[in-house]
Amino acid sequence: MKSLNGAKIRGMILRYFLLALGTVIFTLPMIYMISTSLRPNGALYEYPPRFFPKWEALTLENYGYILNQSKFYVNFLNSAFVSLSTITLAAAVSSAMAFVLGKFKLKVNKLIFGFIILTMIIPGTTMIVPQFELATKLNLVNQLWGLIPFYVAWVIPFSTFMIKGFMENIPGEIMEASWIDGASVWTVYTRIALPLASPAIASVSIFNFLTAWEEYPWANTVINDTSKRTLPIAIAGFFGQHQFTQWGYVFAMSVLTLIPVVLIFILCQKFFVQGLTAGSVKG
Amino acid sequence: MITKSRLNRTQLIALLLPGLLLFAAFTVYPIIRLFWMSLCDMSFSSMLTQPFNGIENYKEVFQDQTFWTVFVNSIVYTLITVPGQMAIGLFTAILLNGIKRFSVTFRVINYLPVVTSWVIASLVFRYIFNTEGLLNYFLWKVVGITSSNIRWLDTRWGGISVAMILGIWKGIGWNMVIFLAALQQVPQDLYEASEIDGCGAWGKFVHVTLPGIKGTILFALIELTIGGFNVFTSIKMITGGKPAHQTDTLLTWMYYKAFSTGKFGYAAALSFVMAFSLGLLAIVQFRMMRNRDN
Amino acid sequence: MRTRTKLLAALLACLMILTVGSAFAEGETVTINFWHHYSAQSAENETLMNVLIPAFEAENPGIKVNAVSHEWAELHDKVLVSAKSNALPDVARCDIAWLPEFQKMGILVALDEEMPDFAEVSGKLLDSAMSTSVIGGHNYALALNTNSKIVFYNKTMLEEAGVQVPTTMDEWVEAVKKLSGENANGQQVWGWNEPALAGWNICPFIWSFGGSLTNEDQTVATGYINGPATVKAVETFAELVKEGGITGFNSGDIPMTDGFGTGRYAMMLEGPWKSAELAGAYPDVAYGTAPIPAGEGGSISVLGGEDIAMFNSANKEAAWKFMQFMTSEFAETEMDKCGQIPVNKAALESETVKAADYAPFIEAIQTAKARPTVAAWSEMDNDLTVAMTAVVTGEKTAQEAMDELAAKWDELLK
Repeated sequence: MKSLNGAKIRGMILRYFLLALGTVIFTLPMIYMISTSLRPNGALYEYPPRFFPKWEALTLENYGYILNQSKFYVNFLNSAFVSLSTITLAAAVSSAMAFVLGKFKLKVNKLIFGFIILTMIIPGTTMIVPQFELATKLNLVNQLWGLIPFYVAWVIPFSTFMIKGFMENIPGEIMEASWIDGASVWTVYTRIALPLASPAIASVSIFNFLTAWEEYPWANTVINDTSKRTLPIAIAGFFGQHQFTQWGYVFAMSVLTLIPVVLIFILCQKFFVQGLTAGSVKG
Repeated sequence: MITKSRLNRTQLIALLLPGLLLFAAFTVYPIIRLFWMSLCDMSFSSMLTQPFNGIENYKEVFQDQTFWTVFVNSIVYTLITVPGQMAIGLFTAILLNGIKRFSVTFRVINYLPVVTSWVIASLVFRYIFNTEGLLNYFLWKVVGITSSNIRWLDTRWGGISVAMILGIWKGIGWNMVIFLAALQQVPQDLYEASEIDGCGAWGKFVHVTLPGIKGTILFALIELTIGGFNVFTSIKMITGGKPAHQTDTLLTWMYYKAFSTGKFGYAAALSFVMAFSLGLLAIVQFRMMRNRDN
Repeated sequence: MRTRTKLLAALLACLMILTVGSAFAEGETVTINFWHHYSAQSAENETLMNVLIPAFEAENPGIKVNAVSHEWAELHDKVLVSAKSNALPDVARCDIAWLPEFQKMGILVALDEEMPDFAEVSGKLLDSAMSTSVIGGHNYALALNTNSKIVFYNKTMLEEAGVQVPTTMDEWVEAVKKLSGENANGQQVWGWNEPALAGWNICPFIWSFGGSLTNEDQTVATGYINGPATVKAVETFAELVKEGGITGFNSGDIPMTDGFGTGRYAMMLEGPWKSAELAGAYPDVAYGTAPIPAGEGGSISVLGGEDIAMFNSANKEAAWKFMQFMTSEFAETEMDKCGQIPVNKAALESETVKAADYAPFIEAIQTAKARPTVAAWSEMDNDLTVAMTAVVTGEKTAQEAMDELAAKWDELLK
């Protein structure tokens, strides 16, 4: 008995040791990014390179530059506008589709669902050429709001798929009672289905937010004006300019961009896990 | 379920329609259009007329040396990053599954790379793997296992390796979370039974854990394979395809052809080949999943 | 949990209102979209945004200028793609090497045909610079600035290595070798920096070695780009790369200005804007300038510069006003302060410009050659990079790579 305990304790120590080690490796790049954002631009090619800057060399000048001189606020608001519009629209249309697909047996259900699965298989970027042509025809090039329908359309398959799974699990009796009371489809959807499915919608929305907040290839392709650029394009633009790179600015802006995402992630950690596992365990 | 008479068709259609329209216009239509574009001569020089071109674009794709280079790059990227992140993610999940304290803390921290945007993560990795960067200094001057600066970003496989390390780093958290959930669903008594049969830790893993999470493994496999072929931003940010398109992947090459040289027909054909083969692959994988269920 | 959700919702709502407000606030005046590749953090961009555009808008009430900065290569791609999507700007600052391609696509306005006062406006600019905008007998742009590249060298590094500033290509090879090696910290240093392997970078060597890219008529490449002098230039360059004398074009290399500023690159071939850049980022580095070393073909640098062009879809009246303003004495003198050599005759006579240290650049321009003025140049340029990469990595010999390149170019030049 005693030896077993010893083995168990040793096993536990090993587990924690490995986990701690893994965590350190996982977080090193992020810590290095933060530490680089806190040193003056000229010190970036210092020798020897340092993981942490010298204490007396610590500076907030990069943040000062980003917050005062660059178009950070504009980019930030652009990203916020696009992301929030995307999640709102996506939540509305996907939950409605999921409700119909999950709770009614229509003839078209199979066809629609087939298309949804099909588009989940195709990597989004492969469609960038015809989508660009479409954006051109609809005059959505270089329009900030023009990003939204594309983003919504991209996240519809995944969102509908996830919310549908949740809707199916709502016990039939709850709705049955409403039908008997003579409620309309609309009433059942808004009064019963939506509130019950809200955890699924919330978790899907977090993912959609991330998708829109960090999307780069499409936004970079269709947006031209400096005042319409979203955060990822602004950061990438900082980097591509000219024969010297102000890594300090790049990383200060990156940190500022990550803050809302990390906050949302930590606050809504539960929804995250729910959303992820619902899809995978059910298969 | 619900009786037909109760079914208010108009309202049902009204609920379906907005989503369906958006989906059809911005996703389904482009897929169909993609196929048509791949059969037409579309370039900057033929902007107004887009004559039907048969399989010329496909011929051009398959006869293009660079296509085969980037094709191999994408395959290697997928073959290494997918099992890599699954193995490390599963291992982390097994470690986490056995502990009680700090479990959530570890989980949250290890998930952070997943929510970090690709642009930012790629730039961080580019900075770290710079020839004059911290990693080379560490390997050479601190640990001493190298005797010069490694040119990580400058060669074909060096650049792809950095993108692969980034891909694995960014993917572990996702795998960890879904495998953790799967592990928690494996019935505990199976472990006890195998223990009585005299199975060690490895035996339990092979005979109980793996069969128990087979569904999740397949799910992850499909998702990650698609993700692997979708690699774009990291390559664009880390090497930009340099040197001379040696580190491009299918999508970055497709993008270059379309938006830098105007060969939209070529790009469409390449995209269609990719979408089609991934679709086939996924159907095979779905079949495998269904067989497991039956 | 409840209150937190509500709080979050309220926050989101506030943000939405803010962003919607900002997204739809627009004026009623004519807006000129002007695309350029002054980099976003440069002195040029500061001048453009804080001096030139406000001055223009004050002079021309009712016209607003929306200036958009793109990275150099991206600006070229964006113009091509925007032509396809009818999203072209009104006016753009174009590298002189792009004009034939844009003209062939039919997106440029022939200024001499459409603008009645064209002769008067163009008469104020240098004829040699204006000639870069002539394609098929018509003028498709106004010259905006001109430049060329000369050698920048780190005085301290040359002194310490006991190296004279190279004046011939043979001396240059020796100097690059001598200046390369390790510094006191044990870090590698390179004698020469070359930030890319494109025409802008390689042409000066090819020409100075006595080689050429195409025949005079720009219709054939075989016998020129794979001729003995060209191959010799490419071989010499690649040999120095392999020996650790030249770097800068790899993804992992220290960027040019940083490397030069921190004493890791001893020499480089750069344009007039570099002085302002160095003064801003590395004011302590002591450097000198010299013409590109002479080889069999003489000391031949590459002719650079930008034109300002108008696109078909433009608001022509307002765009023309803006183009005239950008090439005016005032604007050119202001830009001169950031290292953009003027082409406006009056500006060239002004005190500011005369005081500027341009003599070596002006001298280089006298003998500099232009890259091929053909529509396919962008594609040819990419092929050249691919071929050069194959040579410097040792995948192909210079002769093999250039032979293949010549065949490809012959097709493109047809």
